[in-house]
Amino acid sequence: MTKRFCLVFIGIVILGISSFAFAPTPNGKPNYKIKFPYTTLGLNKQQAAAHLLSRFSFGATPNQVNEVAAFGVEKWLEQQLSASLNDDELNEQLKAYDALSLNNADIQDKYKRADQIIKIAIEKGLINSKESIKANVDKTAYKKQLQLLLEELKLQPMAELNRQLINQKIIRAAYSNNQLKEVLVNFWFNHFNVSLTKNQSQSFVLSYERDAIRPNVLTSFDKLLIATAKHPAMLTYLDNAESVSNDNDVFNARIPSQIQKRLQRRVDALMQDSSNENKVKKIKKLANAKKQEGLNENFAREVMELHTLGVDGGFTQKDVTEIARSLTGWTISPLLANYKGIAQQKMIEKFGKDFLINKGFVFDGDFMFRADKHDSREKIILGTTFSEGGGLEEGMNVLKMLTNHPATANFICKKLAVHFVSDTPSNDLIQQMASTFMATNGNIKSILITMANHIDFWKAAISHSKVKSPFELAISVVRATNAKVQQPYQLFNWCNKMGQKIYHYQAPTGFPDQSTNWVNSGALINRMNFGLAFATQKIPGIHINWLELNHQHEPESAEQALYIYSDILLPERRSDKNISRLLPLVNYNQLENKITNAAENKVAAKVMEGDELDMENANSDHTFTWKQLQNNSANNPKMDDQKKRYSMGANPLIAQVAGIIIGSPEFQRK
Amino acid sequence: MTNRRVFVKSGAMAIFASGLSGFIPSFVARAAEAQKVKAKDKTLLCIFQRGAMDGLMAVSPFADAYLKTARPLLYMSPASTEGQLIPLNDRFGLHPALSSLAPFFNNKTMAIVHGVGSPNNTRSHFDAQDYMESGTPFNKGTSNGWLNRALSLANQPNNNQSANPFQAVSITNAIPRSLYGEQTILSVNNLQDLAIQSKGNSLTTNFAAKSLEELYDETANDLLNKTGKESFDALKLLHLKELKNYQPADGVVYPTSPLGNSLKQIAFLIKMKVGLEIAFAESGGWDTHFNQGTTNGLFARNLKDFSDGIAAFWKDIAAYQNEVTVMTMTEFGRTVHQNGTGGTDHGRASCMFVLGNDVMGGTVYNNLPILNKDNLEDGRDLPVTTDFRSVFSAVANHHLNLQTNNAVLFPGWDGAELSLMKTI
Repeated sequence: MTKRFCLVFIGIVILGISSFAFAPTPNGKPNYKIKFPYTTLGLNKQQAAAHLLSRFSFGATPNQVNEVAAFGVEKWLEQQLSASLNDDELNEQLKAYDALSLNNADIQDKYKRADQIIKIAIEKGLINSKESIKANVDKTAYKKQLQLLLEELKLQPMAELNRQLINQKIIRAAYSNNQLKEVLVNFWFNHFNVSLTKNQSQSFVLSYERDAIRPNVLTSFDKLLIATAKHPAMLTYLDNAESVSNDNDVFNARIPSQIQKRLQRRVDALMQDSSNENKVKKIKKLANAKKQEGLNENFAREVMELHTLGVDGGFTQKDVTEIARSLTGWTISPLLANYKGIAQQKMIEKFGKDFLINKGFVFDGDFMFRADKHDSREKIILGTTFSEGGGLEEGMNVLKMLTNHPATANFICKKLAVHFVSDTPSNDLIQQMASTFMATNGNIKSILITMANHIDFWKAAISHSKVKSPFELAISVVRATNAKVQQPYQLFNWCNKMGQKIYHYQAPTGFPDQSTNWVNSGALINRMNFGLAFATQKIPGIHINWLELNHQHEPESAEQALYIYSDILLPERRSDKNISRLLPLVNYNQLENKITNAAENKVAAKVMEGDELDMENANSDHTFTWKQLQNNSANNPKMDDQKKRYSMGANPLIAQVAGIIIGSPEFQRK
Repeated sequence: MTNRRVFVKSGAMAIFASGLSGFIPSFVARAAEAQKVKAKDKTLLCIFQRGAMDGLMAVSPFADAYLKTARPLLYMSPASTEGQLIPLNDRFGLHPALSSLAPFFNNKTMAIVHGVGSPNNTRSHFDAQDYMESGTPFNKGTSNGWLNRALSLANQPNNNQSANPFQAVSITNAIPRSLYGEQTILSVNNLQDLAIQSKGNSLTTNFAAKSLEELYDETANDLLNKTGKESFDALKLLHLKELKNYQPADGVVYPTSPLGNSLKQIAFLIKMKVGLEIAFAESGGWDTHFNQGTTNGLFARNLKDFSDGIAAFWKDIAAYQNEVTVMTMTEFGRTVHQNGTGGTDHGRASCMFVLGNDVMGGTVYNNLPILNKDNLEDGRDLPVTTDFRSVFSAVANHHLNLQTNNAVLFPGWDGAELSLMKTI
């Protein structure tokens, strides 16, 4: 990490890039120059670098604060905004995940849920439904049979796709040199949240992040809005793919849509069939089938309430309905014959793409605009009239109109300020950011620069005022310790325990971003346990070399360890208080020896109220604790030495102290 | 002045005295200070059956001839060899796997509400759960869950006091949608995780715990300071040793299943008198598209786990039954017709169970129509004849004494509460 940074640093110096200015924004509005006001608040470069890294990255790596201070904090942000640092090492690691390069059709083809596997197996005659039923009765046999079917069909379980998605996020966040980009991918994904909890969208989430979010996080807001709105993940997650209008004459009387035609034929036949007693009921059923297709307002509502204007953005239910009408026909191109777009597939086969395009259909990757299901009549949205026949362009214009709305500028800028600055950002900060938003058509770089140039960003009250989300906590520890993560999924499990199951947030609001939402007693205890488990190398597949972090010097005492690892883990933080709290503890009664001995004796223990360490009597010396120790030695569980050394790290005391620092309140903050 | 904080009771004090050598959790002290506060120690336990339970099989309107025609493989009757329903009255019968709940229906502590569901006709698990848990069936943007809102109503007017860490406990890893919101929620899959755990022996662990407690006690960050205190209070109050060795009441055996374990932990918390107002547990596996079975099979096994769990819980907390109400819920029901693979597909209305001493039990509350096709929703599903909110509000308002504020509990809903709770 350090070496790479130096190379980049040298590279930049040689190239002599010294301008902070950016290329003009699309509409030629003024450039935004990075100029931090931290000196006026009496901060030095180191402190500025530490703060910047705590907010614009997933945490500083060892010595990175000094490196960035030397490189120049403003230049560092500029470099991060360009997101063009070399990430070869990371990319090498990501090669282990083959799904990352697949398109949606291939993903649909390869990764299946259990119910899909069974369906395919039945279709292919591998099993009949009876056998599947039998298998269903015994869980292990059922699982085994599923596994066999997977192999036979050369398919992969959906869980594998999800695993790759989760792992790549963790690895990128931990190791990418373009940290701000990763922070923004996390932020914008959450803003435009989709979730693995919804079956219909599950298999699209990977490409959603990759294609709709990632390329756009440092461009402009409207690009994100449009890319997410058209992506299969969002189309299914908020149901717009199903939202259709039947009041439409794209296919005129000569060419009614297939379904309508078929229904009509059946109704006609029934009407003429006097022998059919159930005629009325059947007709009713057919009419019902027609009725079930219709307008779905979910996306229309959320696109205003959550993605753009905000709940107080001044829209009405009428606006929701009008936007929903405007977005009817925005759906997914049939990706596979056995995907549920089978009727659409047939329609395309029958009429041919050219014919349909001629009729106003639009095919854009996995997105399809169905002119025949679009409500083409006039709409009035937020006071603006959209005259009839606008087609796909109309919906695009609606989204652009939402982007350019002042309420959107406010809502988005506040959300950014809450994420990057403070749970309660000042009005002045939000207003300045919103002005930039309006002036640049939502240019994200310019908005971030305005934010970082604002005095509020650097105020002492802001520094370390945010509580890291569980994901941010987990990644920041990996970065702070240069840990090697071989099993990223373990961190996912811990994030889950700490209250943030990434990619699984059910509601379209995304994870809340205010500290209060992350801090509850169950989650907090798990944060402390995470710190201890991480530091003592109890988490499988994650390795830290504590000695290397201190340049192979073993601290000479517990006290020294405390000082050294506080500085490494909490750079530029006044950890005197931490240290003064912990000093009596580490000095207590030759704790170092005790911990070293004790650590080798028992694998895991829990604190229960009955065997509390009696710190009141800490000074009265050798008491029951020695006895405990001896007792523990007596029933030493068998564990071979090598395994023990490996699992415990070089020095249990260091790990113990570091674990406490990671679990401490200071480390929870950013 | 409503209030419900509990722990200022002799029983609770005895616990502190015995186990904690004089330690009194700070929230207890605070509650004691603020002692106009009268403890009401009510607990509402909600069990969410995720996946959509087939209400027509759990509580079967067996007398309806259309049911038998619609699901020949799945139909059960009280009198035949095809399977033996437990008749509740001349119209409804309980699935035999619910036998452990039958006595509660008979002694009128358990009510069944049939034909319950959401006015939103979505048949997506995701959407329907979302709507049911947020309590706003046509608005996905609602950020909090109905149980969190219930809690905030219950806590009025003392909302700015430091919260009891155990006021709402969900035995799940993540906070369920129903509990999203501002009120303090403890969500943990296993209460035993509520301990500082570290490699090494109890000495190293104690060292870590003591150090962390001091650090959180000292921190200048109010939120971390406050929650830190609550966490260590919770940890000390919890008596993990007792949890580990927890013996349910005589003769009570919980199923060894996720639900059984959850309910056992909740019973433990109730007996510990930690001030549990809302408890939440989940039960999965109700999405029976394939081979649902009748007397035996997938559905029956799941249902037996469900009912045996609840019955064990109810017997286990025998001394506290006056304080506890259990309410089950599921996102929707299943098709009236069986499908081609011996199962049922996503439908509309299902049924729910409400158990408690202040419930007017022994009744199947319903407006179920005869199941001929014309009466079915979209020609296929048991129509929703009772809005889930009319049951949720009745139970929560009554049991938690929320002073009926449905505008807060279920914004945008002005329906009537189902009267299934005893008036005082």
